Amino acid sequence: MDFLKSMAIAATGLRAQAGRMRIISENIANADSTPSSPGADPYRRKIPTFQMEFDRAVGANVVELGKTVTDSSDFQLKYEPGHPAADKNGNVKYPNVNSLVEMTDMREAQRSYQANINVITATRRMLQRTIDILKA
Amino acid sequence: MGLTDIPIFSMLRTRLEWAQTRQRVLAENVANSDTPNFRPRDLAPPKLDGSSAGPTPVRLATTESGHIPGIGGAGETFRAERRGAYDLRPAGNAVNIEDEMMKVAANQMDYQAVTALYTRSLNLLKTAIGKVG
Repeated sequence: MDFLKSMAIAATGLRAQAGRMRIISENIANADSTPSSPGADPYRRKIPTFQMEFDRAVGANVVELGKTVTDSSDFQLKYEPGHPAADKNGNVKYPNVNSLVEMTDMREAQRSYQANINVITATRRMLQRTIDILKA
Repeated sequence: MGLTDIPIFSMLRTRLEWAQTRQRVLAENVANSDTPNFRPRDLAPPKLDGSSAGPTPVRLATTESGHIPGIGGAGETFRAERRGAYDLRPAGNAVNIEDEMMKVAANQMDYQAVTALYTRSLNLLKTAIGKVG
């Protein structure tokens, strides 16, 4: 049944976007997580990746969440001599998370999620039309 | 005589199958709208002149009565074609989500029209055999 396959494909899209959302929320929640000991590294931003996978049962290219990679960009340094995690110069390393970038990513995930929902709604309506033939 | 021996019904059936397959291809495009190096695909329009709609699918030969047919390439009767990517993003993804949404909506309306025609044609047959409504 091709319609059910369409829905299964859109569902993999939903799952992938939801996983992306989880990683984005992790980043936002840890945007201010400072290191626990002086001079140590704080939270490092995570980046979700997507990859195409041929699902043999569905017989189509579905999407799935790939390996989560870490952002290797530099941490932000802030001069806070009184902070418990400050190094000998009085600098504290803050995570390399930019809230603005995370917000934009979140919006994009939301839009992609909606697009997949849209496909499911349209497919369901088509399926309903097929059933309506029986009622004629 | 089966229902699909009547030309109009076989045509409508081909069209329904085509819309169904197209919906699957479009779902694939939308699901992979953030996958790097993914290029969207679409279906070639169906041919209703009686010739086969596309290449005959390759499948495993069943030489014994107990053989189970393989699932690979079991039902591809329509040809999916890769479109030229005019909107390629830096990650190599060329899915235009607005475009895909328009196609999903168009496909749905198309399907609705064909099912309505199918119902009408059934009613015509019912009238012919004297059972109206």
